[in-house]
Amino acid sequence: MDRSSHHRPRRIVPLVAVAAAAALALAGCSSGSGGKKAEEGGGDGASAGKANTPQMTVALVTHQAPGDTFWDIVRKGAEAAAAKDNVKLVYSADPNAGNQANLVQNAIDQKVDGIAVTLAKPDALKSVLGKAEKAGIPVVGLNSGLSDWKDLGLLEFFGQDESVAGEAFGKKLNEVGAKNTVCVIHEQGNVGLTQRCDGLKKTFEGTTQILNVNGVDMPSVKSTITAKLKQDSAIDYVATLGAPFAPTAVQSVGDAGSKAKVATFDLNKDLTKAIQAGDIEFAVDQQPYLQGYLAVDGLWLYKNNGNYSGGGEQPVLTGPAFVDKSNVDAVSEYAAKGTR
Amino acid sequence: MTDDTTGTHGAVLQDTAPGGEHPLVELRGAGKSYGNVRALHGVDLSVRPGRVTCVLGDNGAGKSTLIKIISGLHQHTEGEFLVDGAPVRFSTPREALDQGIATVYQDLAVVPLMPVWRNFFLGSEMTKGPWPVRRLDIERMKRTADEELRNMGIVLDDLEQPIGTLSGGQRQCVAIARAVYFGARVLILDEPTAALGVKQSGVVLKYIAMARDRGLGVIFITHNPHHAYMVGDHFSVLRLGTLELSAARSDVSLEELTNHMAGGTELAALKHELAQVRGVDVQELPEESDLQAPATASPEGKT
Amino acid sequence: MSMTRQAEPAVTPPPAPGPKANDGRTTRRTPVRRLLARPEVGVFLGVVVVLVFFLIAAPPMRDSSSMANILYQSSTIGIMALPVALLMIGGEVDLSAGVAVVTSALTASMLAYQLSMNVWVGVIAALAVSLAVGMFNGWFLMKTGLPSFLVTLGTFLILQGINLAVTKTITGNVATDDISDMDGFAQAKALFASSFELGGVQVKITIVWWIVFAALAAWVLLRTKYGNWIFAVGGNKESARAVGVPVNFTKISLYMLVGFGAWFVGMHQLFSFNTVQSGEGVGQELIYIAAAVIGGCLMTGGYGSAIGPVFGAFMFGMVQQGIVYAGWNPDWFKAFLGVMLLGAVLINLWVQRTATRR
Repeated sequence: MDRSSHHRPRRIVPLVAVAAAAALALAGCSSGSGGKKAEEGGGDGASAGKANTPQMTVALVTHQAPGDTFWDIVRKGAEAAAAKDNVKLVYSADPNAGNQANLVQNAIDQKVDGIAVTLAKPDALKSVLGKAEKAGIPVVGLNSGLSDWKDLGLLEFFGQDESVAGEAFGKKLNEVGAKNTVCVIHEQGNVGLTQRCDGLKKTFEGTTQILNVNGVDMPSVKSTITAKLKQDSAIDYVATLGAPFAPTAVQSVGDAGSKAKVATFDLNKDLTKAIQAGDIEFAVDQQPYLQGYLAVDGLWLYKNNGNYSGGGEQPVLTGPAFVDKSNVDAVSEYAAKGTR
Repeated sequence: MTDDTTGTHGAVLQDTAPGGEHPLVELRGAGKSYGNVRALHGVDLSVRPGRVTCVLGDNGAGKSTLIKIISGLHQHTEGEFLVDGAPVRFSTPREALDQGIATVYQDLAVVPLMPVWRNFFLGSEMTKGPWPVRRLDIERMKRTADEELRNMGIVLDDLEQPIGTLSGGQRQCVAIARAVYFGARVLILDEPTAALGVKQSGVVLKYIAMARDRGLGVIFITHNPHHAYMVGDHFSVLRLGTLELSAARSDVSLEELTNHMAGGTELAALKHELAQVRGVDVQELPEESDLQAPATASPEGKT
Repeated sequence: MSMTRQAEPAVTPPPAPGPKANDGRTTRRTPVRRLLARPEVGVFLGVVVVLVFFLIAAPPMRDSSSMANILYQSSTIGIMALPVALLMIGGEVDLSAGVAVVTSALTASMLAYQLSMNVWVGVIAALAVSLAVGMFNGWFLMKTGLPSFLVTLGTFLILQGINLAVTKTITGNVATDDISDMDGFAQAKALFASSFELGGVQVKITIVWWIVFAALAAWVLLRTKYGNWIFAVGGNKESARAVGVPVNFTKISLYMLVGFGAWFVGMHQLFSFNTVQSGEGVGQELIYIAAAVIGGCLMTGGYGSAIGPVFGAFMFGMVQQGIVYAGWNPDWFKAFLGVMLLGAVLINLWVQRTATRR
């Protein structure tokens, strides 16, 4: 019975309706507020004149996982320095340490004039960095590897010690009178994030709790922070370890009906707005732009003038730099351009 | 056990059937090649209402290719395929079904995890209500399935049980009952008795006879000449993709059929060899001279 | 007690090899076995046990607002788990489901922002893109006959790359711009990401949508022709094709349903958090699949329900938040989840065997 499907053409009806709705929407509506039109155009970061030294090639190899805002800013800094110094920048990245080592090997094979590398897992890079030394290619470190760069024979290092940043964060929490804080780790098992929390715990005089959340699923991050605030109503400060998670933590505080305040590591343009609005108390910035910029610039100076930043003995620290209500206005302009 | 009210429910096709002037289904010199491989070649076959046409053959003889052509899963690449005297070329099984050609596959007949009643109506579900809320008429489907199965002598007290829990013979019978119910004029049965024991095979053969008595044309595919001879009106033996024998029941005895089926001339040749070996009884095997095939097989075809 | 009463004494099953109860006919299924044959029973029992356990172990969870929070997270998983479960019943998986959510959100956000259009334009365009991705998955699968694991793994990687590359090309960043001050945002937020008060508790609207979609999916699956086809194409594709079920249509439309789910959850994330990170969503597809499997759907297809994945997603949310409410070391969450998943699969296996045993 009813063997044939005579009704098939009726499926077209909803399709037509959707198409019509889309046409209507397109015809009627451009946004009167917000959007790209409302955004002022700006320059492309800091730009100086261009050097007339012979062109050199620098490979920047990081452990960036795809889609992390932070590394974008590092790269922008490196690109700005490359443009200024007449450097051809080759950027590559892989979060897997073994693959990162292969990328460094790749750069050696290409006979680049300098390598800038992050040392998230120093042991995995040890042998390949030895090869670079043998090939006479200068190598500088950036971002992570503060305690290892000298042992591995690197020229210089630009970065922030995660532990030091954590410690500074803890001290700042003491200053603002926090008693009970929760440190939100958005990627379980990440060394840098763990160091931040450990550093915070070291200097913070109140209670510190650790909370792991699933960083690739924002609703889950929101729920989990809400749950934590509910479970322990004494928490008066939420410390997030990445910029995108701070606004979510603010929502969680609202959902849980908590009085807790939110502060964060790292910075982006939405955060500067939130700090201006008073939703987020402060952010600690390690100035990723500076790390990329100085790494490339340091290699250029070494090649053309034989300079050692930090004298070859001490790392060049790019952070921690605090951004709060007192200085946010000065910073926000650059953050909007994605360079701070 | 049969009554005439069944079999006409979904049969919009009954009145369109011509009065027997043409066979329901006819193949004329039909064949099928898969690239360079010729699976079937020069096959003639006709199916008439109320008759059982048996297609016999060993594994790889081309039986499954033949049914795939008739049931619309594959298209023939040579010869003609006519339904009610008009040439056709089906591109989906649905088209064959719409012409009243239903196939009951040995393995493919049912979806094992689905309840009996859902299997019975799968692909031809009864519905009620207007479009956005058109829904299955479960009550009516269960009732109808139960009636139809009872007519076939199968009584289940739980139509919700997965059909995979039924025995092989029961599953075949459900599939046959379903094809009959949905107004099939031609029923293709692919080795329905192959996996069954003696008694269950008997039941299935009984339903084949019942279907025939209701005026359906039946194509009964099997490699068992005894089963074929019990219900068949016409016998076609396939070997290596071509017709080895095509004979009406009156022209062929069970013994001849068995011999053709068992390998025919090859077996006769084998007889001489086997005769050299002690302990092999070759008395009953045919001599080559005993075998006359009404339809001669062409030596070409697949090798 | 024999299940079948044949009219003809001649009809008895063939002599079966091996030991068999009575004369080899199927035994009548007891009410308990019939109940166990329902796909959602295993997970329902599991949910009750885990719920009671956490209510005892985690006092803050007894608060109704805590339950609202758990339900919220469950709903964002559950809305996607529903079409993923239907697809699984239809015999396929979709590994691109996680990043497809982000693709949809990025499309809506960037289109509206870059063209300075009303956000609804972006929302509708994102729906079209999501459905197109689903249609591509299904079409490619049916065209090539490759395993869906492989095809959708390809789509997964493609979408992951596109999400990042297009976002960076267009915005110069890896996240989209804040669209919360644009026209239409408020209405869209009301539809996708608002909350309302119920008995003094703030309830997120996604929970309501989740229940609505689940009821709809359950109805479609059990009460319509299309639902019948889903079971059939997953249970035995060739049989289904042979009896005239439009197999290609069914499978392609199932992938498009996943696209719809991805769109909906993507819109929720966009209007809930105002911006979208292009790297999100990776790995979520496995959580959706897990919720469907915990919910009693058979990975090989042909068996499952729409209600099961609701419990599956709830179980997932409850365990994840329950550990936090209980104040335990959250490092153990994944391990706990893995044990639970294996448990659910074992229960399903056992249930399936019990239900189909002759």
